[in-house]
Amino acid sequence: MPRSNFLTENIPQETAGPWLWLGTVLAMLGVFCLCVMIVVAALPAFFSHSHSPFEWVWQPNQGHFGILPMCVGTLLLSFSSLALGFPWALAIAVWHLTEEASAFAHAKTAVGALIRFLTTIPTVVLSFAAVFLLTPFLRLHIGGTGFCLLGASLMVSLLILPTMILVLESGLKGKLEALCPYGLALGFSRYDLLRYCVLPQSVRTLTQAAVLGFGRALGDTLLPLMLAGNAPHVPTRVNESMRTLSAHMALVTANEVGGSAYNSLFAAGLFLLGTSVVVTLILRRLARTDTSPERP
Amino acid sequence: MHAMFPPTLRVWLLRLAPLLLLLIVLGLLFFLVQKGHSALSLNLLFGDTPPLMAVLGQAAVWNGLWPACAGTLYLVLLTLLLALFPGLCCGIYLAEYANRRSALGIGLAMDILAGTPSIVMGLFGFTLIVFLRRTFCPSANTSLLLSAACLALLVLPNIVSNTREALAAIPRELRITALALGLGKNAMIRHILLPQAVHGIAAGVVLALARAAEDTAVIMLTGAVANSGLPAGLLDRFEALPFSIYYTAAEYQNADELASGFGAALILLALSALLVFLAHLLERRFLQRSRGYHATGHLC
Amino acid sequence: MSQLFRKTLILASMAVLAMVQSPRADSLDDFKNLSGKLDIAGGTAHIPVMKAAAQDIMRANPKIRITVAAGGSGVGVQKVGEGLVQIGNTGRALKEKEIAKYGLVSFPFAIDGVAVAVNPDNPVTSLTKAQIKDVFAGKVTNWRELGGHDAPISLYVREDGSGTRETFETRALDKASSTDKANVVNSNGAMKTAIAKDANAIGYVGIGHLDASIRGVAIDGQKPTQEGAASGAYPVTRLLYMNTKGQPQGLTKAFIEYIFSEKGKVLISKAGYIPYAKK
Repeated sequence: MPRSNFLTENIPQETAGPWLWLGTVLAMLGVFCLCVMIVVAALPAFFSHSHSPFEWVWQPNQGHFGILPMCVGTLLLSFSSLALGFPWALAIAVWHLTEEASAFAHAKTAVGALIRFLTTIPTVVLSFAAVFLLTPFLRLHIGGTGFCLLGASLMVSLLILPTMILVLESGLKGKLEALCPYGLALGFSRYDLLRYCVLPQSVRTLTQAAVLGFGRALGDTLLPLMLAGNAPHVPTRVNESMRTLSAHMALVTANEVGGSAYNSLFAAGLFLLGTSVVVTLILRRLARTDTSPERP
Repeated sequence: MHAMFPPTLRVWLLRLAPLLLLLIVLGLLFFLVQKGHSALSLNLLFGDTPPLMAVLGQAAVWNGLWPACAGTLYLVLLTLLLALFPGLCCGIYLAEYANRRSALGIGLAMDILAGTPSIVMGLFGFTLIVFLRRTFCPSANTSLLLSAACLALLVLPNIVSNTREALAAIPRELRITALALGLGKNAMIRHILLPQAVHGIAAGVVLALARAAEDTAVIMLTGAVANSGLPAGLLDRFEALPFSIYYTAAEYQNADELASGFGAALILLALSALLVFLAHLLERRFLQRSRGYHATGHLC
Repeated sequence: MSQLFRKTLILASMAVLAMVQSPRADSLDDFKNLSGKLDIAGGTAHIPVMKAAAQDIMRANPKIRITVAAGGSGVGVQKVGEGLVQIGNTGRALKEKEIAKYGLVSFPFAIDGVAVAVNPDNPVTSLTKAQIKDVFAGKVTNWRELGGHDAPISLYVREDGSGTRETFETRALDKASSTDKANVVNSNGAMKTAIAKDANAIGYVGIGHLDASIRGVAIDGQKPTQEGAASGAYPVTRLLYMNTKGQPQGLTKAFIEYIFSEKGKVLISKAGYIPYAKK
């Protein structure tokens, strides 16, 4: 973050040493390689006329390699996870910042630790457990096979929850604490301050949390692979089976190398990468238009 | 909202959210322990090999998770080795040297990297190897080194942003003092800022390790195998815990094998919980140290 | 009890097959003077056999290192063709163009049947081929139409390119594709978990994976058993192949011979397959 103050303007300017340069260049080179390789590898899929990946049917043995249902599936899953996870994350963050009853002091510490712990649960463990717990439960209560959009999005929302809570808390806490001495003296509760003073000013923080959660939901592979059912069609109800691009990539790489199916894989990779870049750009734009004070 | 819910109801609704989370996580843990505890024993790790011999590498382990644990350990360390240098350099450069434009560019690159799904990273690794084989290096193969390199790229943004944040969080008084004492910029960074930020940086590094330890999608495509024994070298394939879990869930033939899968899940969970706990401790030390300079503290 | 029964059957079928095989010496001795690395990849069904054989060999001679990677049949072909591994396993015969492109040599070593499986609580024990076709085409969607409870059918299939799926669609569905509404799982284990937990499920697994948690369904009166698969009475079967690029040499050759040896046959039977004699 370039700070334009007397510190950066008035000290003797030295340039970065050669090692620092080397490291930075190395890192940039890695990113460059990644982007170029995925784009180049995806090109054949875009220019193939016979087996275009941009159609709605995936039936490899009949020459249909459409990945559009998977694109829709990915977006559906990401948005529905966000719809489930975001209010939940916000509620937890608000509770954590405003709980005033001293009886809950220990609970606050415990929930803080819980959220940290949640970031550590490997997705493979999460999905392994959910196959045995959540899937039969859903089958019983909402019908279908239990491997469905809802099951996957419930677990993905759990996955993105800690990311969003941490972003929300770090964004809201400073502003709230700054208001506290005056606000409390005026007789407002912490909740009132947060709800009526801080939240309306913190659209950026809220969006940032949502966008980060969305990005995480977009790319997760194992949860949809093991929980969503993977049928290559667009689901019309929440209890229907669906397939995401990431799961599709895992399924295809297991069996096909070379050929149209394999090429469509890179188109899928490019779509994922592209979506995540768009999301990133939105995030950056938001960060730039920020007018709220950084620190008290 | 105020009008909709009376305050007491609102308070309890808010309390419901963390409670629900708590219940879910406890339920999950209970389930894992219930399924996995019967399998948790030295036997799960070492099969029928004497544990000491196995740990010392004297005897090979069959039917145990030890090679997978060792594989994960090697993988994580190698990832660290590869990611640390560029990650630190990039973070320091961003925080201290970059002008507005290059900071924007590098920051954007890091954001893209951070948003790259791990399966795309795995695909990148696999394509890279196929490309290398066809061009420069026909003997290149999927291996520990490739997996670690891809994972390093995956966790790089974590290290970079943590380094950057840790440096930015250092109180300005310290910089002013250092400069007033006549230190040059490079010397100030090296001798004052970095030692000050080391705990904050370390916390980011440990979190990156936890990410590397749990990732499955990358290693699935770049060199993890179902059976290989202890990793023999950088250019060899390896076993890893997350992959073992995935593989067990996919191919178990009887209830015992399934239980060992749950056992492996417990071990992996404990391992990453340990890493995150470590990161938390480091972070707290960092905060305490840097707060020492803000003697005033906050009012509420 | 049933375990004993199964073992006897397997041993009996082994004995029949073993007669055509010329007796070999205990071939672990062959590895005495060998060292080096052998990489194996491909079909998931092969892994238990490959893993067990690799462990035996590495135990006997620590200088040898054998890795067994998962993947699928397609990966097996490509990896061995590109020289990334020495043995690429497939759960299907190689296609003409694959042989032509890479110059591969196939070694079928085991017979595996693919069984239609349902939940043990399902009263349906037998289906005709026509019924199975209708179910997997998505035309029949309720168990009542097949003589079961009034419940919707949950359909599970394997992923495209899986050897198991290919065998099932070729032999049981007469090359028809299954409906795209079906759930797709990517392994025998995932299939078993799904069927065992879902009372209305139907899917297919390798016969070796049938156990108490799921039940095989007879097709046109033929029960899915290993001896039925071996004799050819049960129609949905396939061979498991090891493939090498050109004729195998050295360690690769020794490994393949070990799979075909008496000890190898025991390993194959243990994994739930029927050893297939080397031609």
